[in-house]
Formats: sequence, C-alpha cells, structure tokens
Amino acid sequence: MAHHEAHHIEISKEQFVVPAKAKMFTLGAAIIGLLLTVVGVFTLPTDSSHSANSHAKPATHAGHDNHGAAAQEAHKVDPNLVVDNAGHETLFPKTTHKDPEHPKPAFTRFWANLLVNGYFFLIISLAALFFIAVNHVANAGWSAAIKRIPEAMLTFIPVALVIVLVVLFVARQDLYHWAHYEHQNIAKGAPGYDKILAGKSGFLNSNILLFGTLLFVSIYFLFGLKLRSLSKKEDEVSKGDLTNFRKSVRFSGAFTVIYGFSFSVLSWLIIMSVDAHWYSTIFGVYNFATGWVSALTIICCFVLYLRSQGYLKIVSDEHVHDLGKFMFAFSIFWTYIWLAQFLLIWYAQIPEEVAYYYDRFNDPQFKFQFFLNVIMNFVAPFLILMTRNNKRNPLVLSIAALILITGHWNDVYLMVMPGTIGSAAEVGVLEIGMFTMFCGVFAYWVLQALTRRSLIAVNHPYIEESAYHDVGP
Amino acid sequence: MNHDSIIRQPLVVGGKTPTDVTADISRPILNKPSTSWRVGFVISFIFLLLLVWTIGYTVWTGIGVWNINKSVMWGWDITNFVFWVGIGHAGTLISAILLLFRQKWRMSINRSAEAMTIFAVMCAAIFPVFHMGRVWVAYWALPLPNSFGSLWANFQSPLLWDVFAISTYFSVSLLFWYLGLIPDIATIRDKIKTKAGKFWYRVFSMGWTGSTRTWARYEVVSLILAGLSTPLVLSVHTIVSTDFATSLVPGWHTTIFPPYFVAGAIFSGFGMVLTLLIVARKVMNYENYITIGHLEAMAKVVMLTGTMVGMAYITEFFVAWYSGVEYEQYAFINRATGPYWWAYWSMMFCNLVSPQVFWFKWARTTPWFIFMISIVVNVGMWFERFVIIVTSLHRDYLPSSWVMYSASWTEIGIFLGTFGLFFTCFFLFSKFLPVINMSELKTILKNRE
Repeated sequence: MAHHEAHHIEISKEQFVVPAKAKMFTLGAAIIGLLLTVVGVFTLPTDSSHSANSHAKPATHAGHDNHGAAAQEAHKVDPNLVVDNAGHETLFPKTTHKDPEHPKPAFTRFWANLLVNGYFFLIISLAALFFIAVNHVANAGWSAAIKRIPEAMLTFIPVALVIVLVVLFVARQDLYHWAHYEHQNIAKGAPGYDKILAGKSGFLNSNILLFGTLLFVSIYFLFGLKLRSLSKKEDEVSKGDLTNFRKSVRFSGAFTVIYGFSFSVLSWLIIMSVDAHWYSTIFGVYNFATGWVSALTIICCFVLYLRSQGYLKIVSDEHVHDLGKFMFAFSIFWTYIWLAQFLLIWYAQIPEEVAYYYDRFNDPQFKFQFFLNVIMNFVAPFLILMTRNNKRNPLVLSIAALILITGHWNDVYLMVMPGTIGSAAEVGVLEIGMFTMFCGVFAYWVLQALTRRSLIAVNHPYIEESAYHDVGP
Repeated sequence: MNHDSIIRQPLVVGGKTPTDVTADISRPILNKPSTSWRVGFVISFIFLLLLVWTIGYTVWTGIGVWNINKSVMWGWDITNFVFWVGIGHAGTLISAILLLFRQKWRMSINRSAEAMTIFAVMCAAIFPVFHMGRVWVAYWALPLPNSFGSLWANFQSPLLWDVFAISTYFSVSLLFWYLGLIPDIATIRDKIKTKAGKFWYRVFSMGWTGSTRTWARYEVVSLILAGLSTPLVLSVHTIVSTDFATSLVPGWHTTIFPPYFVAGAIFSGFGMVLTLLIVARKVMNYENYITIGHLEAMAKVVMLTGTMVGMAYITEFFVAWYSGVEYEQYAFINRATGPYWWAYWSMMFCNLVSPQVFWFKWARTTPWFIFMISIVVNVGMWFERFVIIVTSLHRDYLPSSWVMYSASWTEIGIFLGTFGLFFTCFFLFSKFLPVINMSELKTILKNRE
C-alpha cells in the first residue's frame, strides 16, 4: 500500500498496435493449424478400417479395466440391454455410436471437431460478455482497468456463432442421432420407433436447434454490442458524466437475467442433445462453469501479454493476483459442478442416466481423457495456483493458463465425442490442428479488436479505484 | 489517501467517530435491558418451554406421536431441519465469501449473521437427532470404536456425511464467531462496572491486550478461519442436498440439487438476516450502522438467489418432461397439480415471484417493505423443503402405498419451539454481546476525529 500512496498514478489512454511478432505468431498458428486440419481430414481412416479398429480397441484395453468387483458387476448391467419390464418399446435404446446399423461417415469426425471448437470459443466469448455484465451489476471497481479485454473478446461471438450454425445446418444428422431420427420420420409403433426421442421432438427438432441458437446468441451479441458502444462513448464524454455508466449497469442487469435463463437451453440444444436419451439438470451450469473459467483464464493471458509489451500501465501485480484467484476459485467451482453431476449419477446408477458415464468413465477409449479432465481442470490449477507468489508470477500463471485452456477444450471434447463419433474418436493431427487453428484465429481476432479503442477506459467511474487497487497482504 | 469512487456510498452514516461506535454498540450491554427486550425475551422463552415440552413428550411416548408414516417417513422434521440449516448459511457467506470478495458492507452485519448461523444450526440439529427415536443412543451415528458396541456408521450414506458436515460447520462457525468477538469483549471488559461482568468478560477476552503482536496473530487466524469457512458454505448444503439426490426417488434424484440447495440456503439465510436486522436496527437505534445501503445490498442478494432457485425449479420441471421418464414427469405434474398444489404454488410465488419486486429501487430501499418480503421468503423456503420432501414421498411406485400426510400438534409444537430457542438465544446475544463488530467497523469510518 505504501508504494501506491507515495506516488500519483497517471491514468491515460493507450492505443494498442499489434506487434508484428504477435501477428506472425497468431496467424502462423492459424495457418499451421489449418494445414494440420487438412492433413488430418485427408488421412482420416475409411469407414471399414475404423470399424475394424473400434472392435480391436476394447479388446486390447480390457486388461486395464479391473476396477474391483463393483465395476465388474456394473459392466454386466449394460444400459443398452435394459428392457422395460412393462413391455413398452425399448426405453433405453443403444447410443448411436455403438449402433452397427448406422456407421458414421469418416468426415463426421471433422464436423464433430468443428462443433467442439466452435462451441468452446462461443462459450468463452459469451462468458467474456458475462464478465463485463457481472462486474457492472456487482459495482466491482478493481476490474475497470482490464475491461477492454473482455470487450474485445466478445467480438468473437458472431464468428463462433457462424461456425456453430454451419455445423448444425450441414452436419446435424451425422452428429445428432435425434436429428437423424427426425429425418427418418418413423410412425408410432413402426419398427425403429423411439418413444423417448418422439417425446422430446417438441423441443429437440431442427427448427428449434437452428433458430433457437441463432436467436439466443444474436440477442446476447446485441447486448454485447450495446455494452461495447456505451463503453466507447464513455471515452469521448467528459469525466464524471455517468450517463453511459448508468445505462451500462441497466443493460448488464437485463443481460445477466436473460443469459442466466437461456444459456442452459442453449447448452441443452447444442451439447446435451448429442446424447439425446440422456439428461442432467445441472448441464447448463456445468457448461457455464466451463466457459467462465476458460474466459477468466484467457483474460488473464491477455493481461499478461499486454503488460509484457509495456501496455496497461495502470494494471499492476494486484490485478494479476486477482485474476489468478479467479482462475483458482472457479476451477474449484467447475470441479464442484462436475462432481455434482458425476457423483449423483454414479451413486444412483439409474440406467438411462449412468449410460452417459459408461461412455466416458467405463469406456477404455475415453477413460484416460476422463481422468485427465479432472487432473488438468482441478488438480493442476488447485496445486499450482494455491500460493500467493504463484498467482503473482507471470510464468507460473501462464503455465496454469495453458493447462486450463487445453483442459477445458478436453472437457468440451468429452461432452461431444462419445455421442457423435464414439469409437472413431481420437486426439490426432486433425484435433490438434483444428484447436491450434482456433486458438490462432481467436487470438488474432481479439488483438485486432483491442486496437479499435483505448486499452484504458479513462472515464470509467471506478478507474481510479482500479488503478490504486491493492489486494492486501 | 482514499481512492474510492465518487459514486460509492459511505458504509456508515451520521458522521460517526470511533468513540461513538464504542458508545453506541456497548450501550445495550452496559445498560439495563429495555422493556421491549424483556417482553420479547419472555415470549421467546415461553416458546422455548414449548420445545422442551413437545420434545419431552416425543421422547417419553415415542416417535409415533408424529404423523410420519410408511411412505412419508420424513415430514415436518426433515423439512424443518433443512429450513434451519439453510438459514444458517447467510452468516457464513457474509463472514467468509464476502470477505474474500472484499465487500466491506459485511462489517456491520457479520456479527449478528454469524450468531444467527450458530443458533440456526442448533435448531436444525434437534430434528434429525430426535427423529432417531432412541435419542439416548444418538452417539451411534458417530464412527466410534467397536468397544462401544457395533460400528453402526455407514460411510456410504449421505446421512452420515451430514453428521460430519454439520458438526464441522458448527464448530468452525462458533470458533470464527468467538474469535471475532474477542477484541470487542475486551472493550466491554474495560468499560463494564459490575463485578460479575468484569469477571466474565475478562475470562472470555482471554487476556486480550490489543498490542500489535496480538492483532497480527489475530488477523492471521481470522484469515485461516475465513478460508476454512468458505468451502463449508458450499459443502454443508451440498451434503444436505445429497440426502435427497443420491436416492432413486422421483423429484429428488436430480443433478442440479447441490448448487440449487446452496443458492436456496443463502436465499433463506438472507431472508432471515433481513427479518432480524430490520427490527434490530430500529429497536436498538443502529440505523446509522446498518444503513439503507446495507438493506439494499441484501435485498439484491435475495433477488439474485431467489431467481437462481426459481431457475432451478423451472429447469427441474422442464428436464422432467425432457427426460421422457414417466415417474419423473408424474412427480412434477403431481407437485404442481396434485393434492399439495397449494404448497408448490406458495413456493413458486414466495421464492421466484416475490423477490422480483427488488428490481425497483423503492422496494429495496424501504425497510418495512423489505421486512414484509423477507417474511414471505422465510415462508417460501419452508414450503420449498415441504414440497420436495412430502410431495415426492406421498406417492410411491406402489399405488397401494399412496398416503397423505399432515403434521401432528407435536410436530407443529417442536417447530414453533425451535423459534423459541432461536430467538431466546438471539435476545441473550443482543443483551450480552456487541451486535456489531466494533473493532472492524472502526477501520472503515470516514470520520477519524
């Protein structure tokens, strides 16, 4: 505190210019990623070889599958084989990827990857917008100095939306077995009739999927644009004029409520419906947590980068420390939500619910990534970010950030892959390439957006509080 | 040097100086109790006697004096248990999580909210303990060595997790509360005139001197206890929610339960804090310390958490339909339209609809109005637990087990009696201990003399 009181902190506008090195690095990542994606697509296994592969895999991994008597016992109760004893249509039909009658075209893996990345960066951009809104409604002062970063991140919403919509429009019948089922249009009682899917068709149908996604995300983005423009206007009026700030608070309040209520629906439509027979009430919260912790991590990365380039002069280690605390705290929050879903489903062992974890926890194909998910998103940040010094150390923070972002990509991967391409899934050239490409494009896009206004919101009513921010001992 | 934004409102108004704080806050302790205090205390004590009597009757006669039955084996008892545990959460949230979020407005209200936590947990514990029936062997719930008999504890049961969660919660809350009290007890020790007062405040101030060294140690311990309390805010009601959610009962087994219960607990806790403090600030003349700004902030928390639980209600309902599982669908349709529809719609109205009035500035800055809503919130959260427990249990997979349940007078008496315990404790607290944390509050005064 003493060093702050000793001198006056100058708060002035800063114009960011993307350094040539950063352009080269981000565009380079995008291009290399693109090339790898192309290579990945062209080297996709053909249908025949992949089905052979999928039969071989479980056999080779069977030896690792000894998890005591309970797991062995559980294996016998294959959820795909449970028959409703009232003699109805099969209540628990097989999940698509295990269904030999519907082999997946190899190209589906490309679309599934596009969905993973498009959705991942969509929820990150949305969470960046939520960050601005929640700081407004909570009257938070400390974050005023860094608010231009989430403002830039939210400009990626339309890009991610277009990508997701293209995937949904073109490939939904390959990715979502309910969409395939909808296409088949089977009459009630006819062979192949699925009572559960038919029951959901009022919600799970192509119209709601496409228009719902478009509508929700467009509304969010309009709020994002409004908050961006109010923030820009604030730069141009005289200091102490609170009109734009007060308006921002009102729009933020409205956005928070709309987003809070509709984001769950969005996550059910796009991701939960991948496993169309399965359901979990916490799913929306879980997806929110994934996007939120990832967005906080990325905000922290941009703060570290801009500071390393001599920008954000009023941002000190104190702000970085707070972002580190957020990464730490919301990693734990994510784990809490993850555990709530997993523990309750695992404990109750109800066939139609536990099928989801059979495909992830019990399936040797995804088991490693299932555990990796918890290690990367909980154990690693928990241990790395626990101490004060580590949260104030740019290098350590960057390492934690890298683990978290990759970890949450893996998280989304695990939500999408088992239900879409199942046994054909693996992390190969295509996956690594496409994720690299998205990271490059996203970083480039956000850096460009950062140049469009001052990096410091000089007239923000809390900017002094933020400049003199001190987290204490 | 102060860099607070010009748009921040002062947290303490009336130009109070540190001397004023000490004088105002120690006044009820040093003076004779007021008439309103005496009347309130006697009424609370009568209800406490009702608790003693109804519990005595239950233990003496047997658990059959309650109306719980073969299907509704949890009735008012567990409803009340969850109700009281939930109320406790505001105290911990204020003292731990708001501390981490650097919300300094908590300083005027944390002491009384923490006290409320402790009393609420005491009330809560009564219900599962006496529901055991043979309460004299209640200690079998603990994992005692076999020399005490058999090892009864079932570590896979969320009911046992509750034993650990709540006893930990109670101990840490009590410790945290008491630690915060020590400097203030020392202040009273130095001011009080009576002989007995001098003795007891000396004992409980544990030789506090106010030296730099003591303060440094005190702050470290405070921070550690705040760190320990933070996961407890989440864990206690999470584990209470698993009492229901790990089961196979339709309407109970749903993954959103843990965070939804925590949000509901904070909601109900703030409801009760508002109920108590709006009265206390008036009666004790603490309007300059517990300002309209404090009430507004708490009203906002109530609105936020009320909307969160409301969203959980809607989510559950939608996903029950979406699941295609007829038992789940029935459980929710039956909640809304079955014989207990009135409880369901009371819950919906009180918890989701009523807090929305706080979108209006007038509503969240008018004390009597906030008070009314806080009562509605308390009622609504009781109904929520009643809805969850009774509507799910009164319909079984086997239609021959379908029953109705209404509480016996003993169950009602115990519930009313716990209010007696709660308010008796609160009245004693407000008489013998400083209701506001004096030493902490002095750090945020603008007027330093």
